[in-house]
Amino acid sequence: MGNAASGLNPPGGNKDGQNKDSKDKKPQPKKWEPPLPTRVGKKKKRGPDAATKLPAVYPTTRCRLKLLKMERIKDYLLLEEEFVQNQERLKPSVTEDKNEEERTRVDDLRGSPMGVGSLEEIIDDDHAIISTASGPEYYVSIMSFVDKDLLEPGCTVLLHHKTSAVIGVLQDDTDPMVNVMKLDKAPTESYADVGGLDSQIQEIKESVELPLTHPELYEEMGIKPPKGVILYGVPGTGKTLLAKAVANQTSATFLRVVGSELIQKYLGDGPKLVRELFRVAEEHAPSIVFIDEIDAIGTKRYDSTSGGEREIQRTMLELLNQLDGFDTRGDVKVIMATNRIESLDPALIRPGRIDRKIEFPLPDLKTKLRIFKLHTSRMSLSEDVDLEEFVTAKDDLSGADIKAVCTEAGLLALRERRMRVTKQDFTSAREKVLFRKNEGTPEGLYL
Amino acid sequence: MPIQEEATVVVPSEDPVKSKKEEEKEKEKLADGKDDNKGEGEELSEEDLQLRNELEMLVERLREPDHSLYKPALETMRGLIRTSTSSMTSVPKPLKFLRPYYPELQELYEKFAGSVEDKGLFADILSVLSMTYSTPLAGHTTLTYRLDSPHPSPPGDWGHEYVLHLASELGAEYSARADKGDSPSSPEMQKLSELAEECAKWFLGHNAEADAVDLLAECECIGKLADLVDTVNYARVGRYMVSCVSLLIPPDDIAFLRTAHDIYLRQSRLPEAIALAIRLNDPTLIRADFNTPANPHMRQQLAFIIARSQIPLVWLAENPEEAATDDVLTSLPEDLVSCLSNINLSTHFKAFGKELGVTDPRSLEDIYKSHLEPSSARSVPAQGVDSARQNLAGTFVNAFVNVGFGNDKMIAEVEEGQSWIYKNKDHGMMSAAASLGVSMLWDTEVGLGQIDKYTYSEEEYIKAGAFMAMGILHTSVRTEIDAPIALLTEQIENKSVPLRTGAIVGLGFAYASTHRSDVLAILLPLVAEETLTMSLAALAALSLGFVFVGSCNGEIAGTILQTMMEREPTQLTDKWSRFMALGLALLYLGRQEAADATIETLRAIEHPLAKQAQILVDICAYAGTSNVLKVQQMLHYCTDHITKEDKKDEPAEAPAEGSAGQANEEKKDDDDTFQAFAVLGIGLVAMGEDVGAEMSLRTFNHLMHYGEPIIRRAVPLALGLLSTSNPQLPLLDILSKYSHDSDLDVAANSIFAMGLIGAGTNNARLAQMLRQLAGYYGKEPDCLFVTRVAQGLVNAGKGTVTLNPFFQDRGMMSLPAVAGILTTLIAFIDAKSFILDKSHWMLYYLIPAMYPRFLITLDEELKPLPITVRVGQAVDVVGQAGKPRTISGFQTYQTPVRLATTERAELATEEYIPFASVLEGLVILEKNPGWEDEKMDI
Repeated sequence: MGNAASGLNPPGGNKDGQNKDSKDKKPQPKKWEPPLPTRVGKKKKRGPDAATKLPAVYPTTRCRLKLLKMERIKDYLLLEEEFVQNQERLKPSVTEDKNEEERTRVDDLRGSPMGVGSLEEIIDDDHAIISTASGPEYYVSIMSFVDKDLLEPGCTVLLHHKTSAVIGVLQDDTDPMVNVMKLDKAPTESYADVGGLDSQIQEIKESVELPLTHPELYEEMGIKPPKGVILYGVPGTGKTLLAKAVANQTSATFLRVVGSELIQKYLGDGPKLVRELFRVAEEHAPSIVFIDEIDAIGTKRYDSTSGGEREIQRTMLELLNQLDGFDTRGDVKVIMATNRIESLDPALIRPGRIDRKIEFPLPDLKTKLRIFKLHTSRMSLSEDVDLEEFVTAKDDLSGADIKAVCTEAGLLALRERRMRVTKQDFTSAREKVLFRKNEGTPEGLYL
Repeated sequence: MPIQEEATVVVPSEDPVKSKKEEEKEKEKLADGKDDNKGEGEELSEEDLQLRNELEMLVERLREPDHSLYKPALETMRGLIRTSTSSMTSVPKPLKFLRPYYPELQELYEKFAGSVEDKGLFADILSVLSMTYSTPLAGHTTLTYRLDSPHPSPPGDWGHEYVLHLASELGAEYSARADKGDSPSSPEMQKLSELAEECAKWFLGHNAEADAVDLLAECECIGKLADLVDTVNYARVGRYMVSCVSLLIPPDDIAFLRTAHDIYLRQSRLPEAIALAIRLNDPTLIRADFNTPANPHMRQQLAFIIARSQIPLVWLAENPEEAATDDVLTSLPEDLVSCLSNINLSTHFKAFGKELGVTDPRSLEDIYKSHLEPSSARSVPAQGVDSARQNLAGTFVNAFVNVGFGNDKMIAEVEEGQSWIYKNKDHGMMSAAASLGVSMLWDTEVGLGQIDKYTYSEEEYIKAGAFMAMGILHTSVRTEIDAPIALLTEQIENKSVPLRTGAIVGLGFAYASTHRSDVLAILLPLVAEETLTMSLAALAALSLGFVFVGSCNGEIAGTILQTMMEREPTQLTDKWSRFMALGLALLYLGRQEAADATIETLRAIEHPLAKQAQILVDICAYAGTSNVLKVQQMLHYCTDHITKEDKKDEPAEAPAEGSAGQANEEKKDDDDTFQAFAVLGIGLVAMGEDVGAEMSLRTFNHLMHYGEPIIRRAVPLALGLLSTSNPQLPLLDILSKYSHDSDLDVAANSIFAMGLIGAGTNNARLAQMLRQLAGYYGKEPDCLFVTRVAQGLVNAGKGTVTLNPFFQDRGMMSLPAVAGILTTLIAFIDAKSFILDKSHWMLYYLIPAMYPRFLITLDEELKPLPITVRVGQAVDVVGQAGKPRTISGFQTYQTPVRLATTERAELATEEYIPFASVLEGLVILEKNPGWEDEKMDI
């Protein structure tokens, strides 16, 4: 280590390269072996190494050919397993304690505590420039036991406390912000909890779920499955609810963000977060990214003097690029939700980025009835309650309003310590809800 | 096999056929409520309720004893089921509502008393219903009801999903019965295969060719497919079948090839058909295909394909056993003969070189570019190390780089006496003289004159080299004069070993894959002669292997086996004996089971050579088949670690001849050589098919990790074999790593493998790596020599030739090419005894694999016709919907163009129609009668 002459010394200077001498050469003091040419400092390739990755199988449609190819791969893997097992049995490669010994040795070399820095540049096979949080940049050596394939400019490295030599690489440098977005616990709402919205459910299933579960169906048809959908409609019509149901239903990674989360304090942080978000999504593919209230960042672009505005617009531009940019995204589906689709930037919702626009209208009579039934199914209603009556009234009730009416009615009943909810409760609850709903806009004042 | 879908996924594929009168009424009725009859959960919308009631009523009616009501009830039910629209994500409504009644309906069906016709209808309905309801335990109910129905309606009437389901049950049922031992001719099985045919027909009509092929394959009646396919879908069916072949288990793959051949033949796609016939190795089919077309140009095109594949021309005779090649050729018109015997190959190649501007000869320095080599190499005067070795390397580099152009500055274009030949000593002269043949390759007229003057040389080695050159010159070309056999035969009996070697090897080159009996008569006595040194006998056997490659010739095999049994064991331990085994193996190249008897015989021979021979025969027989079982077998061979202790026991019996130490060392080498062959075998077997080839990379990785030195030495060679002339980046990385291995043999072999995978590609990255290595190994003469040779290979033909044995869209394997590469690699397994010793001329065994990688378009007079073509990376379009592009990232060129291994070309204009199916090599074009010049409009 520390030997700057990298790579070009010939193996052994002895010139008597006679044919039979090669065996005699062995006992000589072990000649200095030049390091293998490494592939350091380059952008990491995605996925496993070429020598270990499995071949891609075409065609993707369901047919015997695909099956045969898969079986062929399996056969080879079984052969490998058998071979390796035999070899391990015949010739146990490295004994446990030796391994252990080497490990402790490496730990000794590393010492403690270890510093943390970031790799700025790789000079040659065993030297690099690093920077630490305290400021200055150092030209240091890279220890030979560091996996050089993991080194890439910008990664976080462990440094020796005295010499600041690179002694390890810290992997998994995902932004913790993104990890928060990952959904650990599936929501409890399922499709059964959605009243009505049949065609919407069907559309979202076709464009988000099926491409992840049955990609071959699209292949057979010769089309590319849609990349994403946008759900729009007046407030309270079940957009978020449906997204929850999707999350509940699928086993794919579900990332959820609210548009406002993408607005960050510092310049460039927002776009970076978007990039990270999609990178994580791709790593965990198949995955679904749900961006709620997209209008927080997705409004039409206009000349703005405020730096904040411009930053938000840049965040959106990054989003545009991630949705349909130069790099192809694999199995990443995007669901967006907004209630102001008309204010969104047209570039954001053009086909190719968002292929399907699903409208969530106010519920019609039948649906309203079903929503009422859904919400009242656990309430004890008195005999005189006739839900039909509320449904047929010509009010602009959304799903959320209906829920509010039911809850309000329940509360009213509770106030009087009754065990049943009466028709009277419902009527007053409805009036209350409707009044509040129209509160903001006094009728006729500005007309 | 149509993979069984979840029962809930129902594709809404209503067939337009079913516009019957009764149904229309139903439709109207339904149309009113269709838009919103999508209730979920327990509460049902009115329409759903109505539907349910209606269905209940229908079931009720079936319960009643009134027979007259059955028919309308059943028909209404059928109408309801057929018209139900559904989404991909849910079960159709009527099926959902009928579910509770399913068991009851089944019972009703058992006791059904109505007319036969009604019963059939009922069976149909139950068959559809059971698609969603049947449990795995209940067996194949869809199929049972279907077969039970006396007048089944066409399966397509019930939609796509139903047919798919039926097909999957059909396949499962058929194989279950076949396992039980039902004979295919029994009435039930007949019924099944009839139904399969009906379904296949429907699939073919609905763009589901893959399903049709799968179903028929499963019902073991793939042969019927030929009758069902039409002009629209034959191409897709054929492509799918051909790509399945290499993955199928033996009896099936032949059936697939034959059926595909049949399909192409019926559609008069003869180029595809003859390609498959050649792949089948069936002389009768080849002859029939060759004689079919009435169009003379089509025949010429077929002749070009035959010439490229280098099958023996005697196969075109009525009875190949008796006929001689000359008889065949005299009976054919002259233009065909010239196509078949490749006479114009040199002319085309030189014209191609001229078009690309690479005619000018390249000097060694042009290739080495030593000014770009890292500085440390130049500090040592490279020549000072071992100038003889350097000159020898120069010979090979010069030969490979200027192959076929006949104008290099070192051998061909110099006056006698000045030639590079005299800069070599002894055995070096042999290779140098032989390189003249490489330089003049294919150009028999000029070459013969040039070589002739060296045959009178006083230097024995030059003479021997000249004889070899004579043979090399005629590789894959046939002339009327037939010079090699005339000139070389007398030398076979010569006293001098080098001269005999030259003559024997020359004959092997010149008549590779011709199956000529006169060559047999000359060489076979040499093999049998017991007093002959092993090297000559082995080379004679090897040459016979080349001439009769893949022929399963019993006479030769018998003689070689005889020799192995009768020769002294010490002679058999000679380093050359492996080539005798290889000669035997080449006879069975690609013939699979045909080699079994020989392998059995070899088992009976005790000598270690027999084990080597056994493996060689085995791997050759299955070359390019990607047979996993063979790979497994070879891996088993590699499992054992033959340590030195084991070896000490064995050579006890070997009587000491010569120095005891040497004999012992020989023995040591030989004992585990079979492992190296096994490693090569993995590559050889896997190279025919992409998935296997990629997977075997992983296997090699393990072998490299665990293997003994002999295995590690063979792994890079096998990698080179796997992707000859196809420098894939991952492979380059792997080999580059191995080329710095501490075992110099592994390093040298890796360097050669790098040359092999880049052969004829001019790959800049590879050239750079090799320059690095030249500097790195500046003081290691062996490695430097191999590096130089690899540099020469990468620039072979100045980037105009390929060594890849696969051609015709990588669908066909050229046997002499495989034989040539394999021979070279086997010589490299023990490089120190052959290539790096005195037998470096074995590198010329790569020549049979060399072929120009051009696409030249010819008009009907066989004159070159420049035309624009698009060249791009080949894309696998098997089983894709629609008409996908077959090439990606294409560029447009004027022919002639060169094609890399994974590239494909297509015509850019519609002015001409090619006769050939694959644009590769020589292609004859025909004017498109329907073409109109667009410029007229302007």
